[in-house]
Amino acid sequence: MTLRKLALACAVTATSLTAAGGALAEFPSESPIRLVSPYGAGGAVDIAGRILSSVSGEFLDTRVDVISLSGAGGQEAIEYVRDAEPDGYTMLITDYGPLVTTALREDVGYELDDWIPIVQITEVAPIFFARADSAFTSIEALIEAAQAAPDTISVGHGRHLSVPHLPLILLEQEAEFSTVHLPTTGGAQALAFVLGGQVDVGASVPSTIQGSVDDGTLVALAVATAERVSSMPDVPTLLELGFDVVMPAWYTIFAHRDVPEERRAILEERIMAALESESAQALGQRTGTDVQPLGAEASMTAYQTTIGNLTAILDQLVD
Amino acid sequence: MLEFLGEAFALAFAPEVIIFACVGILLGITVGAIPGLSGDMAIAVLLPFVFVLEPASALGLLVGVYKGSMFGGSISAITFGVPGTAGAAATVIDGYQAKLAGKPNKALHTALYSSCIGDTTSDLILIFLALPLALVALKFGPVEFFALYVISLTLVAALTMGQVARGVAAAALGVMLAMIGRDPMTGAQRYTFGMPELSGGIGLIPLLVGIFAISEILVQIARMLQRRRFQQRVTTPAQDAPAYDPSKDKMDWPTFRSTFGATMLGTGMGTFIGALPGAGASLAAFMSYGLAQRLSRKPKEFGKGSLEGVAAAEAGNSATSGATFIPLFAFGIPGSATAALFGAALIMMSITPGPTMMRDNMAIIYALFFILIYANLFNLVASKVLLPVYSRLAMIQPRYVLPIVLGLAILGTFASSNSINAVWMLLAAGVLGVALRWFGVPLGPLVLGFIVGPGLEESLRQALMLGRNDWTHLVKSPLALGIYFGTFALLLLFWLLTRKRNVLTKEEVK
Repeated sequence: MTLRKLALACAVTATSLTAAGGALAEFPSESPIRLVSPYGAGGAVDIAGRILSSVSGEFLDTRVDVISLSGAGGQEAIEYVRDAEPDGYTMLITDYGPLVTTALREDVGYELDDWIPIVQITEVAPIFFARADSAFTSIEALIEAAQAAPDTISVGHGRHLSVPHLPLILLEQEAEFSTVHLPTTGGAQALAFVLGGQVDVGASVPSTIQGSVDDGTLVALAVATAERVSSMPDVPTLLELGFDVVMPAWYTIFAHRDVPEERRAILEERIMAALESESAQALGQRTGTDVQPLGAEASMTAYQTTIGNLTAILDQLVD
Repeated sequence: MLEFLGEAFALAFAPEVIIFACVGILLGITVGAIPGLSGDMAIAVLLPFVFVLEPASALGLLVGVYKGSMFGGSISAITFGVPGTAGAAATVIDGYQAKLAGKPNKALHTALYSSCIGDTTSDLILIFLALPLALVALKFGPVEFFALYVISLTLVAALTMGQVARGVAAAALGVMLAMIGRDPMTGAQRYTFGMPELSGGIGLIPLLVGIFAISEILVQIARMLQRRRFQQRVTTPAQDAPAYDPSKDKMDWPTFRSTFGATMLGTGMGTFIGALPGAGASLAAFMSYGLAQRLSRKPKEFGKGSLEGVAAAEAGNSATSGATFIPLFAFGIPGSATAALFGAALIMMSITPGPTMMRDNMAIIYALFFILIYANLFNLVASKVLLPVYSRLAMIQPRYVLPIVLGLAILGTFASSNSINAVWMLLAAGVLGVALRWFGVPLGPLVLGFIVGPGLEESLRQALMLGRNDWTHLVKSPLALGIYFGTFALLLLFWLLTRKRNVLTKEEVK
């Protein structure tokens, strides 16, 4: 097994060297680019990839195909990209769940620094909300009540350690209170339970609750991002309220670090241009994706911050 | 509201959607008419291809297949005495006798009209009931959902006709299979035996296609090999009764009117049973048949070619087709294998069935309602025109059909996840299906258990978390208590009804 892997690695390196030397000028026009997603088709990550895919012809000189490999909790996708030739034609598109959280909790076949972000397509803001007629119409009210009676207030937050759950854990550490964390199947269920009065507070992403906030049934309490969210400008950030909880999720395109740097630079430039284009922005509007592309450097910072935050939270949980 | 209707109308009546619905109906009647191929199997095979279609077109195709196969099953039931689908089993009793008595045309037309009436009525009830019920469902929390999941599994198991113990076992096995993968509360891996391939759980598509389609194909192939070994030549029964006079076998108004009462009984019964999570088309058909017989003016004719019997059975099984979506649309709980398949298709279109579905996807859901209604009309026309052709379709040799279905099943499953592991799971599920058939274990409860399992577990554990691990929390909600008592009363009622029927038939034998 190891021998075969070694042989494969040698072969791959050899071909990539010759390929990189011979045809650099034409990159990336030789073959279609594959964006491999660890989620099923139709999900938010998949849609983000398809936005790039539909404007690729003009900016990348080649086609971009989104391939979803959701097997083994998304690990099939990551392994597929890891094992592909590092020629820049096969990249990973993901949020931090399968890539970072799983790697920190389980044995996986890669190291976190094997992956170099190319472009962050969008940032997703975790948001806390409650019913407008409930007692918790602000984060302060929630914290006060929870401190007075620990473990009585329930917060529905999607899957365990999902994008809205982690900021909740961080906030509880930061503000010293505790609630009942209720895992749900996702934002839709968390929303239904809050609307039905089964659960006191919900945590999700803005697109899930936009409708109910607009018609006044729900109030959004706070978002866990550095800046306010453009679709809900009245909702304060936790940072503004005095809590150092910045834990946004991102959908980012990654390349393996063995992909030559020149190629990564070309990809970054072209993909940035494609996502900044009017047609990509329009597609983003239509699909509820806030397309705000960030270059390699900024994406790397976001990636590292997330790894740092997650490591801290998970260490805390193990203790 | 009105703008949604306009948008839905435009979606539903787009030319390509209409074409897909027609193709679906033709396909559905075809697979329904061929014994051994069922609508569920066809939908399962088509499921992975939902990705490449626009949502409305995909729904048109699936609805077409479903409705077509519902009626298609009765063609082979009446023509050859072999039910093309499980739901048509009750149609055989009188349908085949009517054919032998020289009334195949009347029987087929009676079946067609009662099918379409039952189906359309049930669709209308779905449309008017699903939205109010979904509003009620918004009041449902983990405790109430757990109660719903419990009744749906209880009904599935208890209503597996005549084999309650096996039904319970199959449902439990389904729930267990669904637990493989990750713990919903902590995300930790469980029951994967250290195999990373299993860490994402067993896919719905490999399991469904494997259990329904692959196992059926394997069984049929085995049968063919066996037949060859024994050198038995299967002779087709004589096509027409000796004294068949087509001029006396024309569908007319008095005939239709005489069966109308039975059609209405079947429609009511089928809609009611279809709306119960867990009860399926064949139960509905048998219950309506029994009821129609007891209330008929000529109960003695039942079993001897009574057209009323055909009408009741067909209206009964077709009337489940709209109603079966009620629990899916209102609560997100699939009430039958077919509803589960549609649920999977909706999830693939990123529409999550449940209380918030109607509100969030108004246009596409109303488009689905339009499609459900107009597909009945297409079904009626297509079937009426093509009845003579389809009567012969049931004679297509399975050896031509099976390899194609097998190929499509494997290809479709691979395409659904781009993973060869899914194909291994598909084949494993197929072998499991064969083993279960061998021991006479019903497959429906297993599939429902598999689909309902995650929700059942999650709602139970959520309820316990909210109730601070106090199990009495589960019976503290009046809504949940109502659901439990309602189920108990229903089970009692079914038990009494079926028991009485058995007594009756024994008396008749004497």
